[in-house]
Amino acid sequence: MFEDSDKEEPQLLPNETVQDMAQDVTYFCPFTGALRGTVTVTNYRLFFKSMDRESTFMLDLPLGVVSRVERIGNASSRDVSYGLVCKDMRNLRFAHKQMEDTLRKSIFEVLMKFAFPVSNGLQIFAFEYGQVFPENGWKVYDALSEYKRQGIPNESWRITKVNDHYELCDTYPSTLAVPVNIPDEELKRVAAFRAKGRIPVLSWIHPESQATVTRCSQPMVGVNGKRSKEDEKYLQAIMDANAQSHKLFIFDARPSVNAAANKMKGGGYESEDAYQNAELVFLEIHNIHVMRESLRKLKEVVYPNIEDSHWLSNLESTHWLEHIKLILAGALRIADKVESGKTSVVVHCSDGWDRTAQLTSLSVLMLDGYYRTIRGFEVLLEKEWLSFGHRFQLRIGHGDKNHTDADRSPVFIQFIDCVWQLTRQFPAAFEFNEYFLVTILDHLYSCLFGTFLCNSEQQRLKEEIPKRTVSLWSYINSQLEDFTNPLYVNYSNHVLFPAVSLHHLELWVGYYIRWNPRMRPQEPIHQRYKELLAKRAELQKRVDELQREVANRSASSASERPGSPTRSITPVQTFV
Amino acid sequence: MFPAKVPKPTFKCYLPPAQTDVKNTVEKPLKKLEAKLLSGEIVVNEVNFVRKCISTENNQEGLWGKLICTNFKVSFIPQDTSPKQKSTLSHLLLGEHDIPLTCLEQVVTVNDTKGKKKVLGSNQKLKFNPTELILYCKDLRVIRFCFDEAGPESARKVCLAIAHYSHPADLQLLFGFEYQGRRYHESKAERVNGSTPRGLQTPIFDRSSDWDREIKRTNASEWRVCSINQNYAVSSSLPEHIVVPSSLTDQDLVQYASSFTDGRIPMWCWSHSNGSALVRMSSLTDPLQQKKTEQKIFAAITKSHPQRNEPFRSDLDKSLPSILDIQSAFVKLRQICILDPFEESEERWLSTIENSRWLEYVRAFLKHSAEMVYHLEGGNSSVILQEEEDRDLNCVVSALMQLMLDPRYRSLIGFQSLVQKEWVMAGHRFLDRCNHLKKNDKEESPLFLLFLDCVWQMMNQYPAAFEFTETYLTVLSDSMWIPLFSTFLFNSSKQRAQHLMDFAKHKAIPQGEDQVVYFPPVWEWSQQFSTKDQTLFNNPMYVGKGAACVQNGEVKTFKRKPKAYSSTLRGPPTNLRNGVKGGEETLTRRSSLANELKSELTPVKDESPSERFFKDWFSRPADLQGLLIPLLMPSHMAFWKLFFLRWVPEACISKGGPVTTYHKLSQLVDEIEILQSQLRQYKGTSPGNTPLTSSGGNPTDQRRMYFQASSPDDPSTPPEYLTSSFPFTPTGNLSRRTVQGTPISKFLNGARIWLSTETLANDTV
Repeated sequence: MFEDSDKEEPQLLPNETVQDMAQDVTYFCPFTGALRGTVTVTNYRLFFKSMDRESTFMLDLPLGVVSRVERIGNASSRDVSYGLVCKDMRNLRFAHKQMEDTLRKSIFEVLMKFAFPVSNGLQIFAFEYGQVFPENGWKVYDALSEYKRQGIPNESWRITKVNDHYELCDTYPSTLAVPVNIPDEELKRVAAFRAKGRIPVLSWIHPESQATVTRCSQPMVGVNGKRSKEDEKYLQAIMDANAQSHKLFIFDARPSVNAAANKMKGGGYESEDAYQNAELVFLEIHNIHVMRESLRKLKEVVYPNIEDSHWLSNLESTHWLEHIKLILAGALRIADKVESGKTSVVVHCSDGWDRTAQLTSLSVLMLDGYYRTIRGFEVLLEKEWLSFGHRFQLRIGHGDKNHTDADRSPVFIQFIDCVWQLTRQFPAAFEFNEYFLVTILDHLYSCLFGTFLCNSEQQRLKEEIPKRTVSLWSYINSQLEDFTNPLYVNYSNHVLFPAVSLHHLELWVGYYIRWNPRMRPQEPIHQRYKELLAKRAELQKRVDELQREVANRSASSASERPGSPTRSITPVQTFV
Repeated sequence: MFPAKVPKPTFKCYLPPAQTDVKNTVEKPLKKLEAKLLSGEIVVNEVNFVRKCISTENNQEGLWGKLICTNFKVSFIPQDTSPKQKSTLSHLLLGEHDIPLTCLEQVVTVNDTKGKKKVLGSNQKLKFNPTELILYCKDLRVIRFCFDEAGPESARKVCLAIAHYSHPADLQLLFGFEYQGRRYHESKAERVNGSTPRGLQTPIFDRSSDWDREIKRTNASEWRVCSINQNYAVSSSLPEHIVVPSSLTDQDLVQYASSFTDGRIPMWCWSHSNGSALVRMSSLTDPLQQKKTEQKIFAAITKSHPQRNEPFRSDLDKSLPSILDIQSAFVKLRQICILDPFEESEERWLSTIENSRWLEYVRAFLKHSAEMVYHLEGGNSSVILQEEEDRDLNCVVSALMQLMLDPRYRSLIGFQSLVQKEWVMAGHRFLDRCNHLKKNDKEESPLFLLFLDCVWQMMNQYPAAFEFTETYLTVLSDSMWIPLFSTFLFNSSKQRAQHLMDFAKHKAIPQGEDQVVYFPPVWEWSQQFSTKDQTLFNNPMYVGKGAACVQNGEVKTFKRKPKAYSSTLRGPPTNLRNGVKGGEETLTRRSSLANELKSELTPVKDESPSERFFKDWFSRPADLQGLLIPLLMPSHMAFWKLFFLRWVPEACISKGGPVTTYHKLSQLVDEIEILQSQLRQYKGTSPGNTPLTSSGGNPTDQRRMYFQASSPDDPSTPPEYLTSSFPFTPTGNLSRRTVQGTPISKFLNGARIWLSTETLANDTV
């Protein structure tokens, strides 16, 4: 696999430069034991290579994955040891001899500088990476064409330019779809009543029933139960836009207790008195801090080794799957209301950029087959996550050394996990494979692409991200073959109703436990399917050849036998 | 589907619909409802106007019809015959609503108004008129009938009849003995005059020739067939023919036999190509003779090894859970899967599964088997499995070992011969372990199911290595509860021989007729399923003899390529590699296996030779036609959803589940097979050849795949009826959601009736 396996350095990316190199470094592999080798640090990665053993060992880690670097052990010892805590469910430990030249920095001090460029006044590598791909991923998403695909504008919904300069809401995209009969002036008054000005806007509309999924932030009800006529009228307009139902469902993603507690901070939830014909449902999904803690526990359980006993109860005690279940159950309720109830829904949490993004994107993934294609899924992420201001910079902490930041949270990872659960339950319903999802998560951290940088569309525009960086979709769309699920059947208008009970949810071992060499993925069914496809193609070719041959032969021969097999052969249906 | 906790002040009525509605339904003109009876089957009792509670939500009132008890089954004939769904496997002998009496685990009658319930046994009295009957089935179904409109007296009689007939006093009273006798005579005309040769492909191992063939196949030259147990002279539980070391004479063996429990001298199971043999035996009874006999036997086994390597002995009683442990694990698991209200068990699902210990036991058996495989394959020594009676744990371990070692047993016929050899002929007490006569609960243990679960775990990890599917395993397990096949009815081959001899005499079956003909084993699947339905047993992914990819030797075998396992995740190297993280994982793994160095820095504990053997094996791509070792981390053990959750409507994924993959693969393989048969036709069209009557690959009939490529009924999109329960259907079974909140659910939850067959309430009336 590695052509240049005797070189000590990695194959460098465009504009990647070696910053430091150190020999005789020990890497403590938790699975195979200590290995001695060479460490190279570039402005993009850490590269460790050991030729201790009969086969070469390499570790190639984008620095963006590093969450924290720590010097371990006392100064008196002859060896200096460093621990690297990574964002992708692993920890690494290295050691080297004490520097004789006290002025010389340890390679891990150098690493710290480049692992946390933002904290050190450096540029994230994505701004330097100059690779050119045949596809341009920045062109994947265009808000207007996506709304057009959904049939917007129509008689009930219009596109507004009120947020063109991010004046209505600086965390929203510039293009918004709102009910036709609410003028821009009124939108501003609604914005005043919604946290951070995040007014209810259209996410998705059902092509037949016109039932919609809309998203927003919490209403600023406060302890005194403030009301806003404009907001009430606005929600009524959303309901009226769907002639099929005289009801509106408001899904508040939070546990009801948390929603009530938010009143103390000026927020809260819609009272059913103020919003007639609306029914409020709490989905009991916990906040970013709970999720962060849950994933931390999960890492403890799965890394580096899985204990021989109590695996299931240990897994249960992390509550990770329970959270996944609540999110999926919430999304399913939304999808069910829209599809089976033909009722429009409004989804919000507190700010409407974490749990709300999870819920709207998962429910439309169930409702709309387009989002289950590779391109459609990219559009979905661009729209529901990136343009609607999921704060990737804060949640992931790109290039930032402040690993204890309370704003960090695996909300997006959790969403991708939910998507994986859906692909497990409906193996033929998605155009992409597991590798696609893992790749997205790998590059969520890698800082190689600009896709997941910044917190909002406005910031991305200001930083000229599309101009100065490469999109992850450029890379993915240039080699779709690798990311395609061979079992995919494009069934249009097919709504997925997953089983959301814990009985059917599984831990995504292919992601969370992938560093454990004993956790080899099972016999790949996809691989087998591809082999069979190749086999069919080969056989088809031979049958065609023979068919031609027989046809030629019988054409030349005068005594054509009736009922020769040539006639009985009908082309086999091809559907891939 | 949704969490029950959502704080919404709604009131839902769980009571049965008002009487007036009910009347409307009942007063429809009745058509005569007749039970479909098999030959020899008679109706014992019946009651009309019974409501079967089912889960379909838009049909809250359930299904109305007639409940019938025969000498074979409990049958329910619905009044409105809904068109048979294509979605289910249709059984040739049982209707959709039928339950064989042997499949009943427990018969419970309830009087809702009086708050009484009673578990019914044989010959019992019932002092109240039941309003409900709940049947708990061994195949994990729970079925509930309501008698609100039925005649109270007839309802009571039917309940008592069901209870009585499900507790047969004698083995010969099981319906199979009636049925097969009649079937034999009725189908006589179809057979050639007199005795017929066996049409069955699966060897039964009741003849020395079956063993001989096995010796030759495995090249076990130092072993021979011995017939000292002819007429069961030496052991009542061994088969008449067994395989023993060539160096031992019959005389020696007869002498040694007296030292073993039930005379079970060591019995050869299988030989490795390196000459090491797998042998099973019971423990020695005679403490004085023990040492000497053991030495002699071991010496003989050593002598049968080409390198004269000493055998490795494993005492399974000391290393594995007992049959009682396994039974109690199963009882707990069953409780969780089918009885606990689905939503309530949610949060603690994983830990309750863990607490049942079922998966722990599955893993223990797989692990022990893998370790024994190491001794045979890696240690190059013969392995002797020892168990006190050699009739329970040994069956599981020896069969699993052979499944890992020999690809032959991963084919359908091979697997059946393995079960026949290591379970049926080796004397596993199917009668007692299944508790068909419901006489002794202490003997009951789902050992065979545990084995099937272990097989499923391997299948789950190596989906292309087995010729058969999980549907096959499930159907095989269900067949245990249908008392019509000779396979699961007896404790030993001696018992089988005796009963069948009596049976033959009784039913005027000519002497010398083959048992397999007059009382067929389960392996004759055409008894139960149509040819089309049997194709559900075929795994389209199978890489092996007869598989799509090696037929005719036209195309190379698809062994896993070296990097295949990393390719799903890491992707193949491409010219656009720059964005990809390197193949670190692969390399980690590869180098990890080469690791034999130890430095003081190493945090990894010392490896045992077997650990090194496994590590080494896992470092290489698995050859599906060679040794196969399961991955054994706790996180590798999966819960067998199809088996355990297929009847639970709440656990059913509609239009999803693994079957969608199966559907897609089957269609592709069917296309391949059509193309292959076309190629064959071309080859056969050279002048002078007779037109082909295709063997196996005919595109019109005899297709191997259930889902076919170009038939108009099966478009390439998965059909609507596919669910994660396919080919079984949870509709028609009791949905726990609909009983929630009623007195019955409290009863179901609190009473833990699975654990006890005692009467739970005193009938004081």
